[in-house]
Amino acid sequence: MLRAQPLLLTLAWRNLWRHRGRTAAILFALALGIWSMVALAALSRGSLEGQLQKAIGNLTGHIQIHARGYRDDPAIDHRMPAPDAALATALTDPSVRVWAGRVRVPAVIASERESAGVTLVGIEPQREQGLSFIGTAVTDGRYLESPGDTGLLLGRKLAERLETALGRRVVVMSQDVKNQVGDRGFRVVGIFDAEPEAIETAFVFVGRATAQEMLGMGDTLSEISLRSDDRNRLEVPLSTLRTVAPSLDIEPWTVVEPLLTLTEKIVNVILVIWYAIVFAAMSFGLVNTLLMAVFERTREFGLFQALGMPPRHILGQVLVESLILLAIALVIGNLGALATVHALRDGLDLSAFAEGMEYFGVSPIIYPALSVGDVTMANTLVAVLGLVASLYPAWRAARHVPIEAITRV
Amino acid sequence: MERMTDNTVVLRNVSKVYRQNAIAVHALTEIDLDVPRKDFMCLSGPSGSGKSTLLNLIGGLDRPTTGEITVDGQRVDQLPKGELARLRLHKIGFVFQAYNLIPVLTAIENVEFVMQLQGVATAERREKALQILMEVGLEGLESRRPGELSGGQQQRVAVARAIVSEPSLVLADEPTANLDSKTAENLMQLLVHMNTEHNVTFIFSTHDKRVMDFSRRLIKLRDGRIVEDERRQ
Amino acid sequence: MGITLRFAWRNLWRHPRRTWLTASAIAFSATLLVFMITLQLGAYDLMIDTSLRVYTGQLQVQRTGYLDKPQIRSTIPEAASLAARLRGAGFPAVATRAQGFALASSGSRSYGVPVVGVEPAHEKEVSTIPGRVTEGRYLSDVRAQEAVIGATLARNLKVKLGDELTLLGSGKDGSVAATIVPVVGIFESGNPELDRHFVQLPLATFQDVFSMGSDAHAIVLSGLDLRTLAQAATRVEARLPKDQDLVLRHWEELLPGIKEAIQADMVQNWFTYIVLIVVVTFSILNTFLMSVLERTREFGVMLALGASPYRIGSLVMLESTLLALLGILIGMGCGSGLAVYFHFEGFTFPGMAELYGQFGLPGVIHSKLSFTTLTLGPAVIFVFTVAAALYPALRIRRLTPVEAIHAV
Repeated sequence: MLRAQPLLLTLAWRNLWRHRGRTAAILFALALGIWSMVALAALSRGSLEGQLQKAIGNLTGHIQIHARGYRDDPAIDHRMPAPDAALATALTDPSVRVWAGRVRVPAVIASERESAGVTLVGIEPQREQGLSFIGTAVTDGRYLESPGDTGLLLGRKLAERLETALGRRVVVMSQDVKNQVGDRGFRVVGIFDAEPEAIETAFVFVGRATAQEMLGMGDTLSEISLRSDDRNRLEVPLSTLRTVAPSLDIEPWTVVEPLLTLTEKIVNVILVIWYAIVFAAMSFGLVNTLLMAVFERTREFGLFQALGMPPRHILGQVLVESLILLAIALVIGNLGALATVHALRDGLDLSAFAEGMEYFGVSPIIYPALSVGDVTMANTLVAVLGLVASLYPAWRAARHVPIEAITRV
Repeated sequence: MERMTDNTVVLRNVSKVYRQNAIAVHALTEIDLDVPRKDFMCLSGPSGSGKSTLLNLIGGLDRPTTGEITVDGQRVDQLPKGELARLRLHKIGFVFQAYNLIPVLTAIENVEFVMQLQGVATAERREKALQILMEVGLEGLESRRPGELSGGQQQRVAVARAIVSEPSLVLADEPTANLDSKTAENLMQLLVHMNTEHNVTFIFSTHDKRVMDFSRRLIKLRDGRIVEDERRQ
Repeated sequence: MGITLRFAWRNLWRHPRRTWLTASAIAFSATLLVFMITLQLGAYDLMIDTSLRVYTGQLQVQRTGYLDKPQIRSTIPEAASLAARLRGAGFPAVATRAQGFALASSGSRSYGVPVVGVEPAHEKEVSTIPGRVTEGRYLSDVRAQEAVIGATLARNLKVKLGDELTLLGSGKDGSVAATIVPVVGIFESGNPELDRHFVQLPLATFQDVFSMGSDAHAIVLSGLDLRTLAQAATRVEARLPKDQDLVLRHWEELLPGIKEAIQADMVQNWFTYIVLIVVVTFSILNTFLMSVLERTREFGVMLALGASPYRIGSLVMLESTLLALLGILIGMGCGSGLAVYFHFEGFTFPGMAELYGQFGLPGVIHSKLSFTTLTLGPAVIFVFTVAAALYPALRIRRLTPVEAIHAV
């Protein structure tokens, strides 16, 4: 077989161009199918990536540390002590890029006219930079300056709801450690924008020390959030942290936001289904075209057999023909998908459906993300299954040549 | 092998029955035939007399219903498919009535084709192909594709291809059927030349009287039986 | 016509394998499209229906501006009598609601939550929440001193059935609104948002506590077929008092996310459908092309016999159309079979229940059977296939009899 390869290649290549129109049509169908596989994977992956990054940026981080029971019942009762020496050391490990402690409790915020239920978040302003969205989200006024800052950051939408504005005062009420509802006035020093908009009405931010003082928490915290270098490789930092702080609840984002992992799984399933559907559609055309090519050349295959070409070479010839078709289509399809991804590098803007996308928890601007895994999978699938599908026409070519076809006109 | 080794082809009691629906067609009945080495033998007879069937059986393209067929000491009727292909590749050359050539290959590539299957090295194969094409009078036409050659030229390429790998036997089924009489005569002269120069056994079929006259042995078939076996000078 | 049709049909079966392969390609895509479109529209109906029925209703009468800023001062005066008048507009379900905000405290916990005043008798008609009370019972009377709350809220507040709940907010006139009521029921609406936040009081009690008088914030109308909603809406609008600055809000305005979610999903799905159809079209284009190319000689004879190229072209088109129809009929058959099955049995896959649950939707979709859902996909495929058949048919016009007859 090996030494006959150049021969098979020549034959297959020249045969392909006997019917340019036919070859072009099937190439187009194959390339379009591959393009759609890779492009759709890039879009889904990009959309998912956007969702993940947003969720991680919206306070989740890569790993969260809480007192046990907090995740089930996020109230002030479930607070944790400030990091002890061992935990503090573990948090300075190079695998931890940034970390911050937070106060995070349910509260009511009231302006002179309206009130609303929110989550009060006490932050260390500098540490939140690069950890969560709030570090860069303030678009009016100023960001908090220190943990002891007495100002408050309010979401734009919530400010509208409360009919308040930058510089005005609001009152925040929340339960303190003694189960008394404590309240405290804050001046709105910054207005932030966030996506999805629900974030703007869900959270208000104050200095961590200010919140601790208001709620009588001392130096205790509600949570510690941290980011590592790679959100998919958290085993090492997780085990280190769990060793030094066995009494705390330390979980990665996949556990804190199970819906995201579920979404990722479903996206994977949908992509595989899509691959299978497109492949099935393409294989009809591929098999049909190869069968036509085989049947119109029955006489030729008979001649090959008469000349003593072993059946496996005839099989090989059709397979090589199919392989060339697939290879060209794969190149065109992948290049097309690359070009599409490149053309959309500034994002595919679906903000016409912004609220709908928000309903699905998807950002309206999708940045396509080509993943090596998806591309490899799509290409391998098409190449391997394409060859498998070609086995039937190839098998038809390799056997069943009536003698009449060879010897008669 | 107790058979006489100076025979290229030996047939013993060969019959071939085709079943068409419920009707049995006796294409060949109890054929016994010895074809000595270097013979130049013609099969003749009307359409349906069994000429093509006999050639196909000898060439291993088809299997007999009963009987034994030996080509160059090997039992063709018992060989498995792959072995048959090997036998055809190394021992037997074919020339058909038409469509002898692979349309996508040039004249010289068609000639090289068999040698390539045999695994002959590129340089050697090219040299042999050029030489044989010169011998059949196609010098300068090597790189034309079959579509660009006349019927006679195509048959010459086919002869060149059949002979180039030095088989022991060339089977030619009505090689001149599609040619005018002048071209047919030239082709037959070429076959005679190949037979004497290259020590190859030739079996061809025809129903053209002038073509029969080139043969040294004429076998007449009727209704699947040999009715005449005539030696000529 | 009879003969031409028969002729075309027989030509189709000169290559049974090719015909079947091509018909299967069409049937495959038609099946898939029928299955996916019925499922997709079934999912939309589910989204709309579930979302509207849980709480929102199909239409709401509100004060202008309340939708954007739900402030306690934006009220509908004399809401009960207006609601009574609107009952004559043909809606089977009409209920009045008021909504405010309060700090809800149990013995140990406090949460800021929306508090809704409802008419227990009518609320059952517009919302599924009264039927989703999993512990205790729903509100008994419009004047009763009691509350029902969402299951998650109950857990967060550590409140059990019969425990007292303190509500502290501000009334319509800015005065302090405070009351202590026992929790008589805990509901699980299926919508996590509602379960986490909601406290419901009887309307009259709410009006007392929040100093509302006989005002309310919304009159919810529901229970109609969505297709007849537009007409009903006109009748409702005609009955609204002109001088009170009231508007009628449609569900699309009340839940804009759903409408856009459906549109976004539509765009995405049609993109994939079209890609699929184009791939299939080009896959089978070769069949049509070959059926012309390999019959050049035959067409030459027909031309020589005096058939016009137009006539031969029509024959070829007829063959392709028959082939497409064959595939589409099979596809519609299979697709409809699947659709009917999933219409009754429901469609689900692992993980769907969790994902849909997040949006308050059940994890099972029932395919929607209608003329449109069953025929739209196949119709589009048919148009594409017939368009693909045009190109080879038009090639016939280039044939000249002599060349064609001598073609091999």
